[in-house]
Formats: sequence, structure tokens, C-alpha cells
Amino acid sequence: MRLRTRGSLWPPRDVAWAALLAIAVAAAGIHGLWFQAALPGRLPSPTDWKAAASVLSREARPGDAVMLAPAWAERAREAFPGRLPFLPDIEDLTGIRRVWLLSLPDAPGGVGRFPAQLAARSASIERPLRLGELELTRHDLAAPALPLWSLTDRLAESEVDAGGATVAREVREVAFLPRTCVLARWPGPVSGPAVIRLPPGPVGSSLRLRAVLVGDTSTGGGSASARLRVDGLEVARADAAPGRVSWAPSTFDATRLPPAAREVTVEIVPDGILSRGVCVELVALP
Amino acid sequence: MRPARAIALSWGLLVLVAAAVTSPAVGISRDEGVYVEAAGSYARFWPEALRNPAGALAAADRFYGPNHEHPGFAKGLFAVTRTVLSRALGLTGEVQGARAGAWLLAAFLAMLLALWGFELAGPWGGGLAPALFFLVPRNAWHAHPAALDLPVTSLMLATTYAFWRSTSASRGRLSTAGWAVASGLLLGAALGTKHNAFFLPPLLFAAWLLGSFRGRQESHGPASEGAIGTVRGHRFPWALVAMALLGPAVLVATWPWLWHHTVPRIQAWLGFHLRHENYPWMYFGSLMREPPFPISYPFVVTALTVPAAILVAMLGGVVQSVARIVAAVRGRAPQVSIPTEWLLLLSALFPIALVAWPTVPHFGGVKHWMPAMPFLALLGARALVRTGRLLWPRRPGAVIGALAALAFAPAAWQVAHAHPFGTAAWNELAGGAAGAATMGMQRQFWGDSTVAVLPALNVHAAPRSRIWFQETPALAARQYQRDGRLRGDLLVAAGPEDADISIWQYHQEFRDREFRTWTELRTARPVAGAYLDEVPLVQVYARPGFWR
Repeated sequence: MRLRTRGSLWPPRDVAWAALLAIAVAAAGIHGLWFQAALPGRLPSPTDWKAAASVLSREARPGDAVMLAPAWAERAREAFPGRLPFLPDIEDLTGIRRVWLLSLPDAPGGVGRFPAQLAARSASIERPLRLGELELTRHDLAAPALPLWSLTDRLAESEVDAGGATVAREVREVAFLPRTCVLARWPGPVSGPAVIRLPPGPVGSSLRLRAVLVGDTSTGGGSASARLRVDGLEVARADAAPGRVSWAPSTFDATRLPPAAREVTVEIVPDGILSRGVCVELVALP
Repeated sequence: MRPARAIALSWGLLVLVAAAVTSPAVGISRDEGVYVEAAGSYARFWPEALRNPAGALAAADRFYGPNHEHPGFAKGLFAVTRTVLSRALGLTGEVQGARAGAWLLAAFLAMLLALWGFELAGPWGGGLAPALFFLVPRNAWHAHPAALDLPVTSLMLATTYAFWRSTSASRGRLSTAGWAVASGLLLGAALGTKHNAFFLPPLLFAAWLLGSFRGRQESHGPASEGAIGTVRGHRFPWALVAMALLGPAVLVATWPWLWHHTVPRIQAWLGFHLRHENYPWMYFGSLMREPPFPISYPFVVTALTVPAAILVAMLGGVVQSVARIVAAVRGRAPQVSIPTEWLLLLSALFPIALVAWPTVPHFGGVKHWMPAMPFLALLGARALVRTGRLLWPRRPGAVIGALAALAFAPAAWQVAHAHPFGTAAWNELAGGAAGAATMGMQRQFWGDSTVAVLPALNVHAAPRSRIWFQETPALAARQYQRDGRLRGDLLVAAGPEDADISIWQYHQEFRDREFRTWTELRTARPVAGAYLDEVPLVQVYARPGFWR
């Protein structure tokens, strides 16, 4: 009996294969119809964007920033008030007290990892405000890192010995994300390092120095380093090399220094011919 | 009229009209701008050569100088349609006029699919095969631009069809020898369109060799009774001889740039492609820059861009073809033509396998293995028809019709939904454009989406604003202007530094350009944009005072 049953099932007859294909085509087709039909209802409408923009215009205050989940939902830049900064990732929340998480909870592909990561760094989370297919949730950060100052903010008041470089505050791409930094570029032959001397002032508890090469990766090699000097003594160094694309800082623990106004210098030293720019940021934390 | 021809003509007409009607919404891509410009130059060559044959050689270098990275046949066709429709009749602008050549080749492809589908699986096969091809959003998009990928796909299919007819028992007006000659001429046209046609003769030969192994099948079957020669007992198709002789001749004849220094220029042309730059390309959040590239790439991208039900039908067709070969070799399927099966199967799989090779450039989405798609469509159509016949022998049409409706309705919806952003189309398995963006897939290429913000630009840009078009080349911007799609007073900027308005087209590999724009224009807030399923494709930034 068992042998006969097995014999009738295996090898499968042509009609069984045909039925399998028909079921698979039908299932895929029905799923495709459902997906297309449901798609508009899973994505925000212009009204939803306007509603979210209205809430943020009313409720956002200095020290607030917006984070998008999923990160590609950058229509928000067009819809939202221009004064609100957007956070490109969860790693660097310097200068932010509260984060408005704007998510598309029903978007195909999900919202990504930001909500969970942000929740882990928050002291309190407001109840999500549902605005059609957008969700707005305010996160008050548990330990906001509010800097005493940053190199980009103090560049205008600093003394710059450019060494043949152009030195300017710019927003540049680092690992696909926007980073505001001081960019040093040597348009011609390198004649020396670019030295930025900040006016004497407090350095707080720690200094975080970052340096990375930016610009067209196809334009050749060359590397550079950013050296941080406090009162003339090198205390930290960040290397920028072609294969290294990281916004992780080199940190100098300044707690051992007696509180006083310090002379801080950042020296950007190219190693050989450098065709790309060096993006440098220094932040002093209280 | 015979049913096969009626179905083929209907499909050809449908594709031609649909492409013409929907084409203006499709933007000019980076390559297309170059080809349209080249077609304009090529169009001036032939009248000049006819007027002064003695000066034709000198004129060839002058007029065929633009864009000798690719041969002259398809661009020559674009030149003809552009001259007739735009210059002579004034019916279209120069871009749509050039594109008409591509629409004709798309219609030709649809007709061939209908004819071959009919021969493989009857009227339903003829009706379904073109739908399986053109209801794939990326294929449908490629039917519009005056570019080379769909034309070469069409001509490679035509060559393969002619090869098949030449090796099959004679039926119809053209003798099998005539089909052999046709295959040589068509290969020349394919070579004269794009270099990937060089892979076709070896592929056809391999299919022929594999097809000659019959195992326990006793008869030769219907696909080996045509123009077949014999040398020392080994049979060979005359079509391959015709291809070897006529292919290069047509290539050179239709590409006057080769009339001088023929061999060195052919070397330079092929050398360019052998050393082609690897454009960076996003794949699951990683930017592929240099080989080795992942072997999975073309398979995964195919699986995530072909509408799922069509994909299932195509996979079913591949499995069915393998099963038919196995059954025939075991002597259980005397009616199966083993050479035909190998021809369809290899043609469906080889272009994808070729791009899977880790050192082959992986940019450009599905277009580089598009020559596989017509064969997958043929196999899929035959599988659906066979399914209907097996499941309800007395009324197969009911089953086939129901399956076709279920497969094509969501696909047609996707085509309409993604239009005109075909290079940004992802299927329901990927979660559409939104799901693909979350996965970190390539969002689009190469600058055609700009067309969606031209109306806003025309209304809001301050007079004589300098526009940085980024991936949309200056050539294309000027073509939009000449065709009246873009205001004539707007100027082209070379970068964010000298731009008043920047049209950022989302490419992860060029993200630095967007951020430089923020610095230079002192704003990170776009003033307009184009989105597919809320996924940004284009965002426009403007200096204060330049967007009114």
C-alpha cells in the first residue's frame, strides 16, 4: 500500500508540477496586487508632512534635532523648517538635548535601527504622535553632550597659518554622511602644514579630535594627520589615510589640567602630495 | 492574415504607440544625451557622402567623430528617425525624433517575441511572451530612450531567431539558407549596435554543440534539419559561417568611422571596453568600486526587479526547459527538440552568468544582462501555456488567461507606478523603491529623473540662473532647451561653486556633491524634489533669491 502510494506521488507527474507553478504564479500575483494596492496607505501624504512640519515649527526649540527612520525619508528636509538640524546617525549627538524621531512606521523595509538605538540613549520618550503615516516621537537625551566650543564655530576668530592650503568651514561626506568640519585643501604643491590657533580659553574635561580625507577617492593617494596641541604640547593626534573612513574621535582627557585659559592649536600636516581635502573637527566638552 | 502575424503586428503596434505616448515623460539619461548628439552628427554624413562620394572618407571622420565608444548602426537609425520626424516633418523635437528609432526596435522585439512565442506554444504563447518582457518595469523603461541596451537586445533576439529558423525544418517563404544569411546580417546589425553581441556566435555554437548530444533520443528532432553542412561527418550550421562573413561586414559598413584605419580603430574600440572603468555601484549598503564583485549581483537584482509573478513564470520556464532536455536525453520525449531547448536555455542564462563573473563591471542595473530577458519571457510563456493545458485540458484558455491576469495585473501596475523612473523600479519582494532604499540598493542612474523637476525650474528659477545639473550632462540640458522643455535663459554651471541652483540626483557614491551644495548655497533645505514612494530621487537647492 505504502509502496503504491509512494509510486503514485514520486516522481511527480507533469500535472503536479503544473499545479505547483500555477499556485506559485497565483500567489505571487495576488501578493503583488496587495502590495501595490496597499502601498499608498503605507506612505505619508503631503498633508501628513505638513502636519509634522507644523508640530515641529511650534514645539522645537534650540538644542533640538530631527532624526529620520528610515534614514532615506529625506523629503523631510523639504517639508520641515530650515532651522532644525537633521542628525545623520546616532553616533554623534554632540550639542543636542532633544531628538525628534520622525518615522514612517508602515513603510516597506521597516524603520531601521535608529529608533532602538535612540531609545537606549534617552532619559524619557514622549508618547508617539501619529500624523497619518508619519510618527513623531520626542526623545530627551539621558546625557546630552553640550560642547563648550567647537573648531568649526571658532574658526572665524582663530588665527590661521594656512601653509598654502585653503581652510574653510564646510559640510562634507564622511562614510556617506554629512559632517560639518574645517576643511584644509592644498590646491598646489604642499608648502607646509596648516596651523589653526584658537584664542586662549577653557578646554573643559575632554577634547575630541577627528580627521578624515574627503572628496573624490579616484584622485590619488596621500595622507595627513591632525595634531592637537595644548599650550604647545601635542596631546592628541588623528590620522587621515585613504583607506580609513571613520568619524571616531581621538580623545584627550583634560581633567588633569588645572582650570585655566589654554592655548589650543590644531596642526594639519599633509604627508606628501595630497589631492584630497582633510576634514578636521575638534570639540571641547565641559 | 495568419494568426501569428496578426498577434505579432498587434504587439508591435501596441509597443510602438505606448512608447511614443509615454516617452516625453522619460528624462534624458547621461548616455542618451551623447547618442542623440551623435545621431545629429551622423545624420549629416549620409547626404554629404551621397552628394560627394569622393569626399566620403574625409566626411566619415568629421561626422562620425562624436562618440566612437559605440558603433554606428542603432545611432544611425536614431539619425534617420530624427531627421525624418524632427527636421523633415517637424512632428517631434530632436530627442523624441531620435528615440523613435529605439521605439521601432522595441516594437520589433515585441513582434519577434510574439512570433517565436507562437511557434513554441501557439497563440497563447505569442500573446504572453511580449507581455512577460514589457511588463517588467525596467524593460519597459528601456523601450523609451535613444540608448543601446534595448536595441542590442532586440537585434540579438532577432539573430538568435534567424539562427534557429536556419537550423530548423523549412517552413514559410524564406528558405533555411535565407535564414542563415539573415542571421549573418542581423548579427552585423547587433554588432553595429553594441559590443556585447560579440558573445552571441560562441553562445549559439555552444548551444549547437550541446544540442548535438541526443542521448537515447532516436530522431534528430525538428531543429536540426535546416541549413546544416557536414565536414568529415561533423554537422555544422551554415548560419555561423554567414555570421562570420557578414557580421563584420555589416559592422564596418554601418559605422563609417571604421572606414579609415579599420583594424586599429576596432582594436581601440574593443580595448576601451576591455579596460572599462568600474563605476561605483550600491549593493546592500556597500559601494562596489573594484573587482572582485559579488557573483550574486545579477541574480539578486533580477529577483528584486522583475515583478514576482513574472519572475516565478520565468523560473518555471527555465525548470521546464531543463526537464525537457533531461526527458529527451533519456529517450522519454521524442517530440522535444534538444537543440532548441539548449538554445533557449543558454540564451536565457548566459548573459546573467556573464555579468556574474566577478571581474565584469557591475554597474548599470539590469541593462547589461537584458539580452537574457526575451528568452526568459519565451520560456515563461511556454510554461504558462503548458500549465493551462495540463491543468484543464478541455479549457486550457481559462487557466492560462487566469494565470496571465494574475501575473500581469500587478506587473502592469508596477510599470505605471514607476513611470517615468524606470531605473529606480524595484519589485514587491524588495518592497518597492522604499524597501530597496532601506536595503541600501542603487537608487537610480544616470540623471534622467531631472526631467521631473523641469516644470518647477521653469516656473521658479530666477532669470539667467546658473544651474548645476550634476548627473544630467550639459548636452542633455541643451537638448531640453532646444526641445522647449527647459527655459532658454537658464545657464549651465560646472559645479556648486558657480551655481545658483543645484539639481541633486541621489547617488550614494556622489553624496559629497550634495553636501558641497549645502556649503556653497548656504542651505540644506531643498526647494523642490521628485520622489518615488517617498524615496528622494531628485532634490533641488537654490541660493537665497534665486527661487521665486
